[in-house]
Amino acid sequence: MGIQVQFRKEAAELLSSGAVKLVIGYGEGSTPERRRPVFVRTPAETERLVLDGACVANLSTYLISEGLLSDGKNVAVFLKPDGIRSINILAAEAQLNPEQVVIFGFDIENGEARPLAGRKASDFTQVVEAAKAAGLSPELQKEAERLDHISAAERFEYWKEQFSKCIKCYACRQVCPMCYCRRCIVDVNQPQWINTSSHTLGNFEWNIVRAFHLAGRCVACGGCDRSCPVNIPLRLINHRMAKEVLDAFDYYAGESTDQKPVLATFRQDDPETFIL
Amino acid sequence: MAKIGVFVCHCGENIASMVDTANLVAAISEHPGVEICTEYKYFCSDPGQETVKRAVREHNLTGVVVAACSPRMHEQTFRKACAEAGLNPYMLELANIREQCSWVHTDKDEATAKAIEITRSLVEKVKRNNELQPISVPVTRRAMVIGGGIAGIQAALDIASAGREVVLVEREPSIGGHMSQISETFPTLDCSQCILTPRMVEAVQHPNITVMTYSEVESVDGYIGNFTVKVRRKARYVRMETCTGCGDCIQKCPVKKIPSEFECGLGNRTAIYTPFAQAVPNVPVIDRSRCTYFKNGKCAICKKTCQIDSIDFDQQDTIESIEVGAIVVATGFQVQDTSLYGEYGYGRYKDVITGLHFERLASASGPTAGKIKRPSDGKEPETVVFIQCAGSRDAAKGVKYCSKICCMYTAKHAMLYAHKVHHGTTKIFYMDIRAAGKGYDEFTRRAIEEDQAGYVRGRVSKVFEQNGKLIVRGVDMLLGRPVEVEADMVVLATAMVPQPDAKEFAKKIGIGYDEYGFFNEAHLKLRPVETATAGIYLAGACQSPKDIPDSVAQASAAAAKILGLFSREHLEREPVVALVSDSTCAGCWGCVTACPYNAIDRRDITDRNGNVIKRVASVNPGLCQGCGTCVSFCRSNSIDLAGFTEKQIFAEVMAL
Repeated sequence: MGIQVQFRKEAAELLSSGAVKLVIGYGEGSTPERRRPVFVRTPAETERLVLDGACVANLSTYLISEGLLSDGKNVAVFLKPDGIRSINILAAEAQLNPEQVVIFGFDIENGEARPLAGRKASDFTQVVEAAKAAGLSPELQKEAERLDHISAAERFEYWKEQFSKCIKCYACRQVCPMCYCRRCIVDVNQPQWINTSSHTLGNFEWNIVRAFHLAGRCVACGGCDRSCPVNIPLRLINHRMAKEVLDAFDYYAGESTDQKPVLATFRQDDPETFIL
Repeated sequence: MAKIGVFVCHCGENIASMVDTANLVAAISEHPGVEICTEYKYFCSDPGQETVKRAVREHNLTGVVVAACSPRMHEQTFRKACAEAGLNPYMLELANIREQCSWVHTDKDEATAKAIEITRSLVEKVKRNNELQPISVPVTRRAMVIGGGIAGIQAALDIASAGREVVLVEREPSIGGHMSQISETFPTLDCSQCILTPRMVEAVQHPNITVMTYSEVESVDGYIGNFTVKVRRKARYVRMETCTGCGDCIQKCPVKKIPSEFECGLGNRTAIYTPFAQAVPNVPVIDRSRCTYFKNGKCAICKKTCQIDSIDFDQQDTIESIEVGAIVVATGFQVQDTSLYGEYGYGRYKDVITGLHFERLASASGPTAGKIKRPSDGKEPETVVFIQCAGSRDAAKGVKYCSKICCMYTAKHAMLYAHKVHHGTTKIFYMDIRAAGKGYDEFTRRAIEEDQAGYVRGRVSKVFEQNGKLIVRGVDMLLGRPVEVEADMVVLATAMVPQPDAKEFAKKIGIGYDEYGFFNEAHLKLRPVETATAGIYLAGACQSPKDIPDSVAQASAAAAKILGLFSREHLEREPVVALVSDSTCAGCWGCVTACPYNAIDRRDITDRNGNVIKRVASVNPGLCQGCGTCVSFCRSNSIDLAGFTEKQIFAEVMAL
């Protein structure tokens, strides 16, 4: 039995038994190589679910929709290992109760989707451990290293050019499961720290703030990078921040539902003395 | 409309020599909202302050900027002046044109331009300042002292004698601490027990002191003036209320061969025991792990022996919740385990002992009744070698710091040995003799000159046994040659280290500690008694190695700090605290983990029917120190700091 058939069947069972109120999965997209999220509420609708190598989006971002989980009912969601890590972070940051999330775990190997065993976030500890052991993406690393080897002035020019394309559409923010604040810092205008106009300064301010807010939280799902309409290589910024926290603090985002935030945890034995 | 008064101080020549104050005044006078701008030689002087006050009254100023020195220096001075003139003290800003301008520049034109910028930015800030009211916190005027050694006893007595209640918590069955183990004390050689026991008795009999022995602190909640401490009273299995301390049970207890902790294993104790004869309170405890009754339900001889039925095998640990306003941490030290020096043979050779062992051998109440007898065969040692810095000042194997007391007690040991064994010889291997203290250097000179203490400057490489002797091989650096001494006993001056659970304890009560586990003071020089957590103070060797006089002095200092705190029923705190915006808080609790002061809690927002609609972060103003860590962390920008609000800072920055 193929994974798509299997997941459809199990999703139908969960819905008909009332174990979940909603299944968030993938459906046909506008072109054959694209998939779009579908929200399935009845067993019959599970026929719309598709699962194959084209299912790349991190669907955990839909779980933080305001009010979705506040009735205490469960929701099932199709997740790759990066999405499972997102669930761990969201749980650690008290944005959802992991007990309410039923996970249809899968991974993509050689363009094929294959199932991962488990239903709850805690069932996938080994998957996350394996992802950490495998290290940050080698392809990204290669791409990022090119920037490491040029001079600071050249690098600044590179990003200036990239950011000059930014139109402040905030698609990167909307797609990101970690951007759950009801009011984003860019929406604060008393005072207005971040320029909202899409000129060089404002674009730098926004993208640097975004990078900092994702340091130690980004799971490299690539959602922002794919959603950017002007193709700013946001993956490189995220990768760099992930590498920094891994190298400096041995911190890999989303390891467990009770992982302490790396940049917001005070320790009595902190080597820096400026806080106390 | 803002009416700001700006007062440019010359600070004598400190500012005026590098900043053209006339230019500064002219520039600032033009700035919108500035009602009056004047200069003066010393605004902190009485006539200077009068000028400010008069201007506030006459011009009805809404804000004041004093362009002078660092706020650390005179913020309080000018806040007070403003308050006296009827202006809210938080409507004052100090523009620092001294430390951050005149002192660090050499070009007068540039320095003047910078001074104008700094002053202008503070004018913009003060326009947006809000009137703040000090936070009033009630004070529970009862103190807790954790640790019943000499430091703890002293702190408790000082606070109690001033008329305040004290709860003294000690985890051992008796108060007294390490000082009760010591034989004689340097530099006067008075008997440690003789000067300590009266204090112990005084503490336990003092009407204002509640002594809780065999008790441990479980948790500390709350903040300065309002702590709730949970204390676990461990089951003694002996009723405190009725026991008379007759000691019959101890004599009859059949389990007699337990190495005594108090005697450092040189003597034995029974399963029901008091640690030492002068224990306070003189009520025994049953060591559950060694008691035959607890092992197999048989024996109970103590219960049968006790004529007033004070043995209670069914006793349970109890937890008491105690409200206190201040806490003294006086948890003391331990002696470092010396087995890390395998080459000195500690643990392998019975006659290689630590300084604390020697104290027990020399103590009149010790296992040898004060006679120096070596542990292996009870013979009087003819030659004793002392090795100083056996752990201290040794970054490679021991600890980096100097344990401070070893030079002195080693000199004392050599002296006591000479007094007790007249024909004996001593050799002391040392790195330096550190004898800074009243009467200390005289004391070590006396050991050398009158008691023939044989000091050898150098390190010992090895101690080994040969023909029934301990051979100490080392180097005499002053003569530049190796030496070998045949010794009967070797005494290691081991390092003083924090209690093994010090770090855990510090986390439990919320204070800082250093890399070793010694507790951190708020400021090494200027606030050596306070911790960074308001209301928690330090005394004795839990902070750093200390001798008895230092411990006692710090204990009295901590008591003085607490009595100052207890002098009023309410505590006024600076209103510079963080505030959370409920509507935008995302409830990620990053601020909760980021706060070094545990000042942020979760708070439920409910609708009119009591249903929780949102959980948000909430700052306890009693605990908040206004450090701003949470503000800088908050991703949704939902926390603001009173007195340093984002609007104020933004205006300040944008004016540059």
